[in-house]
Amino acid sequence: MTQIIEILLSGITQGAVYCAVAVGLSLVYGASRILNFAHGSLYSLGGFLAWFLVVGHLNLPLWLAVLIAIPILAVAGIGIERLIIRPLRGSANWKINTIMVTLGLAFIIENGLQLVFGPGTKTIPAFTEGVLEIGGITLSWYRIWIFAISLGLVAALEYFLSATRYGQAVRAVSQDMQGANQVGVNVNQVFSLTFALSVVLTGIAGILLAPVFLISPLGGWAPFLKAFVIVVLGGLGSTKGAFVAAFILAILEAFVIFYIGPSWAMPAWLVMLIAVLMIRPKGLFGVWEN
Amino acid sequence: MADRFTTITSQFTGSGLGRDSLIFWVLVGGLALLGGLLGDSYVRHIFILVFIWCIVISSWDLILGYAGIFNYAQLVFFAFGAYGSAMLSIHAGLTPLLAIGAAALVGAVIGVLVAVPSLRLKGEYVALFTFAVHLALPPLIQQGKAIGMGGNTGLLGIPWLNLFGFQVSSIDKLTWYWVTLAFGAVCVYLIYFVILRGRMGLAFIAMRDAETFSQAIGVNEYKYKLLAFVVSAVFTAVAGGIYAHYTSVVTPKVLGTEFFLMAMVMLAIGGMGRFPGAIAGVFIVVIGNELLRSFDDYRLLLLGVAVVLTVIFFPEGVAGAFKPGPAKEPAQDR
Repeated sequence: MTQIIEILLSGITQGAVYCAVAVGLSLVYGASRILNFAHGSLYSLGGFLAWFLVVGHLNLPLWLAVLIAIPILAVAGIGIERLIIRPLRGSANWKINTIMVTLGLAFIIENGLQLVFGPGTKTIPAFTEGVLEIGGITLSWYRIWIFAISLGLVAALEYFLSATRYGQAVRAVSQDMQGANQVGVNVNQVFSLTFALSVVLTGIAGILLAPVFLISPLGGWAPFLKAFVIVVLGGLGSTKGAFVAAFILAILEAFVIFYIGPSWAMPAWLVMLIAVLMIRPKGLFGVWEN
Repeated sequence: MADRFTTITSQFTGSGLGRDSLIFWVLVGGLALLGGLLGDSYVRHIFILVFIWCIVISSWDLILGYAGIFNYAQLVFFAFGAYGSAMLSIHAGLTPLLAIGAAALVGAVIGVLVAVPSLRLKGEYVALFTFAVHLALPPLIQQGKAIGMGGNTGLLGIPWLNLFGFQVSSIDKLTWYWVTLAFGAVCVYLIYFVILRGRMGLAFIAMRDAETFSQAIGVNEYKYKLLAFVVSAVFTAVAGGIYAHYTSVVTPKVLGTEFFLMAMVMLAIGGMGRFPGAIAGVFIVVIGNELLRSFDDYRLLLLGVAVVLTVIFFPEGVAGAFKPGPAKEPAQDR
């Protein structure tokens, strides 16, 4: 019994971080209908940025590294939107072209990281040690912390989207880009904003998970695929859906890892993806675009 | 075939088929002669790769450029063709030519398996699903060690091609040059001249350009999209089979970043959905990639940069130069 609760808890804490990655992916898709294939490599970028600041060269404390990383990631997001997404918007074939471009960008970041940091894996020491024990159930404090931080981030994003003027502009653009444009929302600004938020979210997730999973240049594809399955189950463009789906799938993953073995985790995600697509292709909260 | 469409004057129908075919086969003949003239086996090796890639890229162009289905599982078909052919000839003792034929069947089955979930999806969902299949396959291949897939090290010692009693070793570049040229030319001809200029190709283009309208005039969307997957998978699997017997080694590397990036760059530089474009892209990229060998550390980075730059600045690729005029695609559809 305690074992099952432990698996459940490890799934839930993991789910919160997946949620941050998936919400970022979903946010950009919701606003601009662009699927960012570079999302996973930006996750690795966040991890390496923190590694560089904390372990590699500067020996800064982690909180300071995160504070430095946030503006860098935000600028990266805005830069990506400005330089490679915006020129394609509105052109014929923009859909396939943005898929091509973001895939190309993913490979650029991946190979760039490999050139700068080498192909090996890196790790950042966890900022807190020790485990919490309640009635025979053990859970490491670090996991509790990343759970709280990720949930805090997602909650802050939800608050931003529902209560602030800029957040309302983002939602307006997601619902009807042309209508939003006509009533005076600066659509381009909204696209930049969502890209910046999305890159910051996935980058921080990369930093948080660095002590749990290692960081490697090619390591972004697994979180990307997971985020994608989550987003599909939740419905592309729905942040609420991504929130619910992240926990469902992370708990399932935790059980698969415990009962069948960690090497089956990725195939299990694919099976879950196929199951979701066969049963409810538009996701829990999604609607088909026309 | 040509007679049936003489009343329709579109570049995709039979008009000009005879002339275009003649040009095509003359060029193929020229390449065959060139193979004899080129003394260097390294240059021949590069051309052999070009011919194999031509099959893969023209099948990808068929599904992505012509049928407009965002399929990114092309190398999955290639890998199944390579592994299928290799395993059948190693474990079941099939003669390599037969094994390549069987690989085509394997390709068809995999094509259906990938198509069935994809056909329930739309647009970028298809892209993500198919790419997820691509990403999930290498770990599955490692798990497949138990059924003789060789795991991480791959399959070694795949038998040489046996052409009616004549063993073609991997070192015999000249024979391989002609064999791959023959396979490549026939496959490319079948794809671009027979399939895409025929009824199936017209249906693909109709579905891509005006989905609702094509259904209204009676194009069976499910059937033709399924066919697009199967045809594309069959040709790609054949290419995979040839590749396996040429290199005599298959590893999960065929699903690695380098192959995928190469394929993407070829399509991006060549341009999608316009006939000689994708083929030109293959020649440019394979030869360019070999020229970049001296910058080996930066090669993959440069390939990625090439994809981004060509898509932003030359969205029609080389193909834009072949057929000037307005793009066939509809305007932004959101």
